[in-house]
Order: sequence, then C-alpha cells, then structure tokens
Amino acid sequence: MKPGEDLSPTSWVKKDQPTDVSTMAHYKDGGYEDVLEERRHTSDLKYAMKSRPDVPRYKYCKPRTPAEIKTQVLNSDRLRYTIEKISDATKTSKEEIMKEAGSILDDMAHNLTVGVVRSVAFFLIKVFKSIFSRIYVNKEGIQMLHRLLHEYPVLLMPTHRSYLDFLLVSYIFYEYDLPLPIIATAMDFQGMKFFSWVIRQVGGFYIRRAFGSDTLYWAIFTEYVQTHLRNGDAPIEFFVEGTRSRTAKSYQPKIGMLSASLESYFKAELPDVMVVPISISYDRILEETIYAYELLGIPKPKESTAGLLKARGVLSNDYGSVHFHIDNPISIRLFSSNKIDRVQHALEPRYINNLTAQEKDVMVHLARHIVRQQQGHMVISPWALMASVLMQSREGILLRQLIKEVEWLKRQTSNLGAYVNWPGNTSSESVVQHYLSLHMNVISISETGLIELKLVLPSHMKKPVADEVMLNAATNLILSSYRNQLLHVFVQVGMLSLVVNTSPQVTMTMEDLYQGYVFLETLLQKEFVFLQGETKKEFEWAVLTLNHSGALAIKDNHVLVKQSINKYTTFFSQMFEPFLLGYWVLCQYFLSLPGDIQGKPLPRKPKNFTKEAQKVALRLLQENVIRHYEILSLDLLGNGLLALVEMGCMYKDKRWVSHSVTCHTRSVTRHT
Amino acid sequence: MADANEPGPEGKRHLVSNNVSYPAIKSINLEECRAEKSYKLTVEQKPSSIPKRRQELLKWNGWGYRDSKFVVNKNGHVEFTGERYRLSNTVMPALRDWMINTVGISLEHQQPAQPELTAADIVAPIVNEGFLEDMQRTGISFTDDPQDRLFRAHGHTLHEVFILREGKFKRIPDLVLWPVSHKQVQTVVELCSKHNVVIIPFGGGTSVSGALECPENEKRMIVSLDTSQMTKILWIDEKNLTACFECGIVGQDLERRLAEKGYCTGHEPDSIEFSSVGGWVATRASGMKKNIYGNIEDLVVHVKVVTPRGVISRNCQVPRISAGPDIQQFILGSEGTLGVVTEVIMKIRPLPECQKYGSVVFPNFEKGVDCLREISRQRSAPASIRLMDNEQFQFGHALNPEVKSVLASFVEGFKKLYITRIKGFDLQNISVATLLFEGTKEEVANQEKRVYEIAAQFGGIPGGEENGLRGYMLTYVIAYIRDIGFDYYIVAESFETSVPWDRVLDLCRNVKDRLIRECKERGVQFPPYATCRVTQMYDAGACVYFYFGFNYRGVGNPVKLYEDIEMCAREEILANGGSISHHHGVGKVRKRWLGQTISEPGLGMLRAVKQYLDPKNIFGNNNLMIDSKL
Ligand SMILES: Cc1cc2nc3c(=O)[nH]c(=O)nc-3n(C[C@H](O)[C@H](O)[C@H](O)COP(=O)(O)OP(=O)(O)OC[C@H]3O[C@@H](n4cnc5c(N)ncnc54)[C@H](O)[C@@H]3O)c2cc1C
Repeated sequence: MKPGEDLSPTSWVKKDQPTDVSTMAHYKDGGYEDVLEERRHTSDLKYAMKSRPDVPRYKYCKPRTPAEIKTQVLNSDRLRYTIEKISDATKTSKEEIMKEAGSILDDMAHNLTVGVVRSVAFFLIKVFKSIFSRIYVNKEGIQMLHRLLHEYPVLLMPTHRSYLDFLLVSYIFYEYDLPLPIIATAMDFQGMKFFSWVIRQVGGFYIRRAFGSDTLYWAIFTEYVQTHLRNGDAPIEFFVEGTRSRTAKSYQPKIGMLSASLESYFKAELPDVMVVPISISYDRILEETIYAYELLGIPKPKESTAGLLKARGVLSNDYGSVHFHIDNPISIRLFSSNKIDRVQHALEPRYINNLTAQEKDVMVHLARHIVRQQQGHMVISPWALMASVLMQSREGILLRQLIKEVEWLKRQTSNLGAYVNWPGNTSSESVVQHYLSLHMNVISISETGLIELKLVLPSHMKKPVADEVMLNAATNLILSSYRNQLLHVFVQVGMLSLVVNTSPQVTMTMEDLYQGYVFLETLLQKEFVFLQGETKKEFEWAVLTLNHSGALAIKDNHVLVKQSINKYTTFFSQMFEPFLLGYWVLCQYFLSLPGDIQGKPLPRKPKNFTKEAQKVALRLLQENVIRHYEILSLDLLGNGLLALVEMGCMYKDKRWVSHSVTCHTRSVTRHT
Repeated sequence: MADANEPGPEGKRHLVSNNVSYPAIKSINLEECRAEKSYKLTVEQKPSSIPKRRQELLKWNGWGYRDSKFVVNKNGHVEFTGERYRLSNTVMPALRDWMINTVGISLEHQQPAQPELTAADIVAPIVNEGFLEDMQRTGISFTDDPQDRLFRAHGHTLHEVFILREGKFKRIPDLVLWPVSHKQVQTVVELCSKHNVVIIPFGGGTSVSGALECPENEKRMIVSLDTSQMTKILWIDEKNLTACFECGIVGQDLERRLAEKGYCTGHEPDSIEFSSVGGWVATRASGMKKNIYGNIEDLVVHVKVVTPRGVISRNCQVPRISAGPDIQQFILGSEGTLGVVTEVIMKIRPLPECQKYGSVVFPNFEKGVDCLREISRQRSAPASIRLMDNEQFQFGHALNPEVKSVLASFVEGFKKLYITRIKGFDLQNISVATLLFEGTKEEVANQEKRVYEIAAQFGGIPGGEENGLRGYMLTYVIAYIRDIGFDYYIVAESFETSVPWDRVLDLCRNVKDRLIRECKERGVQFPPYATCRVTQMYDAGACVYFYFGFNYRGVGNPVKLYEDIEMCAREEILANGGSISHHHGVGKVRKRWLGQTISEPGLGMLRAVKQYLDPKNIFGNNNLMIDSKL
C-alpha cells in the first residue's frame, strides 16, 4: 500500500456520504476540487485533444497571431520614438537599430501554438499524475476568472516556489477552458534548446534579468507587455517575487514587470487592469535539495536539459498534494484611486516613459499587498507544522510527543487565521505518519522511535561536501524551508514574543513593547514582507491575539514579563531566533574586521561580505557555540546585510557598522 | 404686465430638409433695402419666435415646444406629437421595445411629473424696495409673476428638470426684466450696482451647466435679465460680410432673417431653435458646421459688453488685432459672470448654393475614428461629420417610423444596404458617420469624392443621402426623448469633451466602461445605456459627446446617483486626457475641476478680472471662477 493512500485528505467523505463517493471524493472544504481525479479515469490523449469551446476572451480583443504582434511592436510609436532618440544620440543609422530591435524581439517573443500546447498537456498530465496525489483548485476562482477575463485585461501573479508553478498555471487554465497565459520567463531556460523552444510555444516569453539602462531593450519589453495587455490577447503571468524562492518564504517583491504593465493604466490606455494573485502550496517541493545547496553557496547546477531530465528521478517520488488557490482580483483602478492622478500624463505623448513618484509608490505598495494576499491563501501543510516542531527538537522527538506538539501548533495556526490542510476525521497519528513517509529523505526514525534529521547526499554532486557541518546544514535547510512556510502566519506574534522574552525588566510599557516590535520589523524587513504604514495596526493585532490566547499578560497597560514568558511566546520566539542569530554573526564579523588607520573597516563587496560572514558562522558551528545551521544560509546573511544598510548602520560603500546596533542585536539574542 | 407675443407662422420650421435649412428668399431686391449707410443693409425688425411668457409656447418642465413630445398612444406605441419636425405625428413601433429591452422600462411602472406649479408653490421674492422704485421710473418692462420667475430659474441639466418635475427650487429670481436695448441694459446694470442687486443674464435658457441656477444662499435680490426682447439685426454689411445682432435673437430667427437677405452665419448649435447670440458668446458655443464657418469665437468680430465698471468695446471692427491679450476672449465663455453681452458683430456668408447630406458605414467604431483622423489630417472635412457608435446606431432602430410612413426607416435603409452590398459587416459592430456638405455644386461634388475615397481606405462604404439626413434628425429628437424617459424611471443626460486624436478611442471605451461599472457598483438594477459619438474634428483632436441614462427603479435619490456617476465619468475623461468641456461650459456643475484645468494662477487671473470689473459681485451667479466667498 502506498503510504497514506487511505489518508488522503478526503478519505473521510467515503464514510460520511457513501452514496456520493464517486462525485464527492475529489471535493473538499474551501471549495477545492481535485483536477487529477477525472484525469485518472480518462484517456490522456483524448484529454490532450479535447475541444475548448467557451474560452473567455477580453471583450475588446482583436485576435492576432504572434507574428502580427511582433510587427506591431516594431512599428509602435514607442519604438519609433526610442529608435529615433538612440539614433540621434549615437549617430547610428535607424535601420541598424531597427535590426537590433528585431533580434531582441525575436529573443523575447512567445509563439503560443495550440498544437504544442496539446502535446505538452499530454505529457504534463502524465507527470502530474505520477508525482502528485491530488491537485486541488478552488472552483470559485475558476468561475471568477471566466467572468473577469471577459471584462478586463488580467495579470496573473502566482507565488514562485518551483519550476512547476508556471506549468501548473498553464495546465489548470488548459483544463478549465481558460485562455492560456503568456508567461514572463527569465533567460535561465534559454541555454536549453528544446525546453526553451517548448516554453515559447506554450506562451513563455523571455526577459533578461538585468537590462538596467538599455533604453532600447526597455522600450521593446514595455511595448511587448503592454500591447498584450491593451489588446487582451491573453492573460499575462509573471512572478512578483522575481524568481523562485529558495527558502519557501516570500521574497521581497520586484516592481519591474508591474511598472512595465501598469503604465498602460496610468496613461489611461485601459479602463482597468485586474491583478489575480495565485497561491500555490506544495506538500513537498520538487527542488528542495537543490535549493538547500544553493543557499549554502554551492554553485547551482546549470539548468541544462540534461539536468532537468535527470531530475526525472523525481518522477518515481511522491510529492503529495498541491493546492492551487486563485485569489480575488485586485482592481488597479480601485487600488490606486486617490493615490495617483492620471491627469498628469495628459500633456505628453503616452509612449514616452515617465511614471510619477506617486505611481512608483503605489506599485511598491501594490507589490507588497499582492504578496500578502498570496500568503493569506497559502494552504499550510501538516508537514510545515511538523517541520517547525522538529526544528525546535534538536535531540530528536518521539512520535507521541511530535503529535502532541503538532496538534498544539495546528490550533495556534488556525487561531491566526491560516488554513491548515488537515483532513477531517483522520487520526492525528496517521496524518503525521503520512507526512513523515513523504519526507523520509530528511528524516530518520531510530530504533527507539526517535524522529530526527537525516544527512543527505545530493544526487547531482559528484564529490560530497567534505565538511560534515555543511551536510547537516543542507538537510537542516530543507527542513527549515518547510518551517518557513509557516512564518508569515507567525511573524507578528513572533516578533512580539521576542521582545517580551528578551526583556530584562519585570514589567514593560506598551510603548516599550511597540518600540521593540518596530525595531525588529526594521531589522527583519528583508526577511519578511511588511506593509508600509501598517506597523501599528499589525502590532495591535498581535497584542490582541496573544493576549486573548493567554500568552501575553497585560495589567494596567503594562506587560507582565514573567507571566508572559511561557510555552507560546517561547515557541514563537524560537521560530525566529535563527534569523537574529544569523544577524548577530554578521555583526560579529563586521566588528572583527581589521580597520584602516582611522580604525574604520575597509570596504568590501556585499557578496564577499556574506561569504566571509558565512565562514565565521561555520567556525561558530564547528565549535558548537551556535547550533542553528541556518546561519550558514547566504540568503539570510544577505538579507541581514541589506537590512543593516537600510537601517543606516553601514554606509552605501559598506564600510563600518555602528556599535549600538550590534549591542542591540546582542541584547535581543542574549537569551540563547 | 406680460405682453406675450404669439409666434408667427415662422415659429414652425422644418429642421432638416434636403434643401437649405432656411428659406432663401432671393427675390428680395437688395437695392431697395439699402439704407443711408452705403453698404449696410437695414433689416425689417420682427418679434422673436419665443414669446415673453415662454411657458405658453414651451414646456415649463421639459424640453422644447409644448406640442412636441413623445407619448405612449392608446395602442401602447410610442408616438411623437405635433407638426414641427419631420418625425412629428409619427408612430415609432420599435421604440417601446427598445426602451423595454435596452434600459429596462416597464409600461406599468410610471413616475409622473407633479402638476404645474401655482403661485402658492413658488417661493416669495426678496424685494429691494429702493431698486424697485428706481426701476419703475425707467419704463423698462419687468414682472414678478411667479411662473415667469420659475421659468428663468433653470437651464436643462438633469438636476434642474428633475426639480421641476418632482421638487422645488430653493432660490429663484425675484424679478424678471426685459430691456429692449443696449441703453436699457446699461440702466439696469447701473441700478443694480447702486442697490446691490444680483443680475443673472438669461438668453435662451438652454444652458446645460447649471449656469442659470440661482445661488441658494444669495440673500440679495436677484433679477433675471431676460434678453429675449433684444432681437434686432442692427445692420448687415455686405462689403465686409458682417452683421450686427442684438444679444437676444435666437438662432432660428437669426438664420431665417439672414436667409431672407441671402446670408447665413452658419452657426448651428443643436439648440439653435432656442439659444441666443448672447448665450453663445457667454458659453463659447460650438455649431455643427464649424468646419466651414468656425465656432463662435471664430465668428465673432466684435462684442459689446455692459459691466458694472462700464462698457467694454473696441474702437474698431477689424479681422484681427495685436493689442495685447485679447479682451474679447475674456468675454467669450464668461458665463454671465462679468456683464451683459448686448451687441455682437458676427461674420456672415452668402447662403451656399448647394447642401447635401451623406453617410458612411464602417465595420466598427475604431475604423470610423481612424477615418475621421485621416480626413482631418488631409484637411478635407465637409461642413459636418458625426460618427456614432454602434449603440447609437441601434437607437436608430427605435425611431423607425411606421411602415406606412413616407420615410423609409433609418436602420432598414442600412439593413438593405448591408444585405445587398456590405455582407460581412456585423450589425452589432457597425458604426455610422453622417455627413453634411455645403458649397457650390462643384465644391460639394469634390468634397464628396474626397471623403468617400478616404472612407474606402478604412473599409467605409457610402450609406446614402437619406440615411445621413435621418442621422441629423436624431439629434433634435434625442433632446425630447429624455422627458418620456422620466415618466418611466429613466434619468438621462448628455455630456461632452474634447480630446487629442491619439486618445479618442481609449477615452470613448474607458468612459463607457466606467459608466457601466459605476452603475453596477452602485446597485442600479438595469443595464445602463451609454453611448457616444464624435461630433467635431480639429487638426489636433476631436469633440466626443456621450449620452448616458439608466433606469433607477429600485434605487433611491436618482439625481444624486446620476450626478455621482457623471462625476466619475468626468474624472475618467480628465484621466484620459480629455477636457472639462468642449462647448457646454463650466457653470456650476463642472466648477470643481476648473482649478486643475487652468492651474491656480490661471484661476487667479480670472478672479482678478472679475474683481476689477465687478467688485460687488453684481453678476453673482456663482459660475466658473467665482469663489462663493467673493
Ligand atoms: C438640446 C440641447 C442642445 C445643445 N446643443 C449645443 C450645441 O450644439 N453647441 C453648443 O455650443 N451648445 C449646445 N447646447 C448648450 C446651450 O444651448 C449653449 O450653451 C447655448 O450657447 C446657451 O445659449 P442660451 O441663449 O440658451 O443661454 P442661457 O442658457 O440662457 O445662458 C447660458 C449662460 O450664458 C449667460 N448669458 C446668456 N445670455 C447672456 C448675455 N447676453 N450676456 C451675458 N451672459 C449671458 C447666462 O447667464 C448663463 O450663464 C445645447 C443645449 C441643449 C439643451
């Protein structure tokens, strides 16, 4: 028996509604429906050939071929204007620049072709059926999209945790007769001839990761995106986090794609634009091992076709279920009303690139808002709860204890408003066991029943990493990436707990508590996504939450510190402790730097900075001063560095770090 | 004291005909008419088509002539009554279904207007005794008759007409005055200044910007200075092709009487039957045939204005002048805030030899706009081009007269065309341009050829003369249709803007989208009707005109709802690079956007002029730049 077969999240239905088994089995609460269910009983070929009759189309759309789109881009006012300008400035002939533009566009453009889409669907469905037990989709979201896509141009913004993300989006859109999106893809794939070709045919278009001040490239890219938006040829999909999150936490959002697209709205070329965030939650992430090594700074294997195919070893693996949640649309018109004044663009031709400061501000705001909305609809896997408990049980934990802790954490998670994917009337033991079986690659169970971390040797590494610490760290980072899936739920109460737990006083005023909270939010600003101007509100919410659950004792507007150090606050603090430790290491490293004649440390590149700080961390781990392997994560160290720069602890040329912050950090982490 | 003038037979006219609109009585011997002044033609003076007691000829609570209106007849069909228009006295069987299907009216649900208001219902006037005594001595005609005062308390915005139908104005003029000459106007302005009495000039009363409404909080006596008795054509100068008009003459009288001498001004706003020369100047009006004759600012050679500070005038009657910033431009569009325009010298033209309608059918609105843009680029526009969107084209359906009618139906005409010649056009998408050519026979022929050639490049196919003519007819009829809508819970209004060419299509689409969306979000239960047309074209842009209405059954306070939605639409227009107004003006309803439109220093300029000319705010109608605190 495949482990967990009868533990599937919907198994309870069979008992409760025996007559409805066949139709109900793939539904579950939250309006989710398993897309794979029907596919398991029908021919994949038929599926790939199915007709897609009522695909909604934007009501003002004029159908065009990919080739026509290219021509229109090259003949656009924006391009003509840009080429003229470049030609004047560089004394290059317009024909030459036009030629360059043509080749940039060739590199960029998608070539969405139904035939290829069908073949890919045929292939994908096979893969999905073999690696996933269920792919849940919220039906309401689908219905909403059917209406929305007719009315307005749509930007799809899924979370980005895996290469599978965009394949899933296209697959689900194919499945539900929605128009296939075109997808902004980084150039990473272009090395792989075949995949790169396939991706173009299913709607992928390529953008360079960095094109800075290349005005020609920017013009082509903007026009290419906007022409699709204006005509509504297809929904446009891109990842607001910019790239796949290696940590399973949301990355700080980027606004490049947003500003390229929304300019169209700001300049009133469109009645509105709808942003639809999509939250994709995995029980187990395909790339978990690769990510861990990347975080440690071991160069990621080039994403070559061969590499991916080898990853087909994964096909025999079980990756559990996926939840695909289509969130409510965000109307850009409503979101930006009263924040911007579109009239400001009335005096210039619209193809001249000039967004106002308010517009840029709105987009930063919006990007964060999108991420938060994505997070709000992430489905918390029981494994994320288990990982959180396991992370805090360095010596291993017995199954019984694990179950108890997980049940406790599950309640806390629900109380904070997150949706935990916990099957109805299945015993907690079987749930926990099911998820253990899914993640045996990072877990070992000893003879005595002690559950603990296991060392991994990544399959793609020829030479194993010599240092045992690094190996442990890799396993640990995999595990921590699952705990990370929980952190956005707990970050506010976690920061609050940290302030209380590290307070040397007996009582604390609310103002002190708030100041401590603000400091932590500033410190962790690159680690988590906070909303501008909402700090106070979120703080108050966290206070209320902890107070009501009995974790935070407040009397006469003072926090009673001793009573407030308890299981809750301790657990929540420890969830975030590794970050503070990592930052502390960073500070230690800064302070240890040899100075110049005035005693100021010599400037270095940020990359070297984190690399060297990592060495310090490694030593501390080897000497057993610190036992949190996460401090080796270059992502964590990098975030810390950026936050310290932002806080003004270091100059832009990254010279020195102020003493006070180090002390402060130390004080925050004193209790470890 | 009202001495009503019944309209003569001229009161009745055919708005649209295949010939020139105004009878060209060429038989008059010009030599005979020549007065002492060598080239100046004196003109026999005739009373205005509109009587002093306007309500005897015109609806007191709706648009136009009392005898002309849409009614549901005993067979349950919609009929247009009266005899004045080509559509008069015809039954339009499709109109009822259109109203039911498009805006969701139901014949069972009616919202009748209140009965005619009597003296008891109308607020008592504020009286400034000293002023009244002085007035009596002047011999200028005036009245405090409540109904006369009520008639001059409003223009024709939805808000105003709705009050007439269902409510009460908080403030109306306290007295109506009928000066008959520039001199008398001077006297009135002097007396008002002396006694601190507010003057609101009243021309044809067709304002659609709230400009005529009395400021609610005005404690001083308000007089309505009705210009309707100043209708003389003072002279016609054939050498210079100019004529001098008193401000109160309304468009139809002016053109009819000029036509008797073989001339026209060519200024034809859609309100031509009722709006006056003074009103045109005061609002910067725009006429249908501006492509040939120009808008009012192009037509005006000289204006004479009575302000509290004195009379503004130039010392010459010249085609152009470089004498610093143009003071006349301060008067054009001043909306009664600075003084009374009393006499206007305008350009005139010999009546055109030939006038011809035409039409073009485009596969869709976008192609139509592209075509107009090209015609404008080539500067080959005929006297008038109007491009209607599909919704408006469909409205043509609704006005199909009964089959028995001599007129073949508007849409039937197109349908036939569609079947016989333009297969592949989708009736749900097509867009129609109506055209009016004027000039010598040759010129018209050349223009036609040119326009149809350009149209062909954009997939446009000539749709015939009859269809063009009917298209223009719709314009006049649409003004009347709002009143029957009111009876069935429909509120409707039009608004307009000007916009650069590159934004025309986006603006049309976005504004319609916004209107529909706002209705939905505000709980309107029935699909709204939102439609537009491009009515004027310029080198650098176009004028776009929207009609918008919805069925308010089931939602409260329709006027407020309408105004909120129109406000959103105007904000959308501005965001789309459109203007606050192309020709309706600012008045009170668009005041809130004036500052951002002309910038704060710009507003300050206007206020400084106001402050100088009218420090006591005698012309205190609260329009435009007038700061309520002033
Ligand atoms: C059905 C309909 C169609 C219309 N079509 C057009 C059109 O095609 N083009 C267009 O431009 N407008 C149009 N309008 C708007 C309106 O007709 C114009 O604004 C017109 O110029 C107003 O003239 P009036 O004589 O009716 O002025 P009124 O409505 O009486 O007054 C308008 C404003 O001008 C002031 N005023 C009037 N006379 C004088 C004077 N002698 N001296 C100083 N101030 C004065 C008034 O105080 C008021 O502020 C239309 C309106 C309607 C209802």
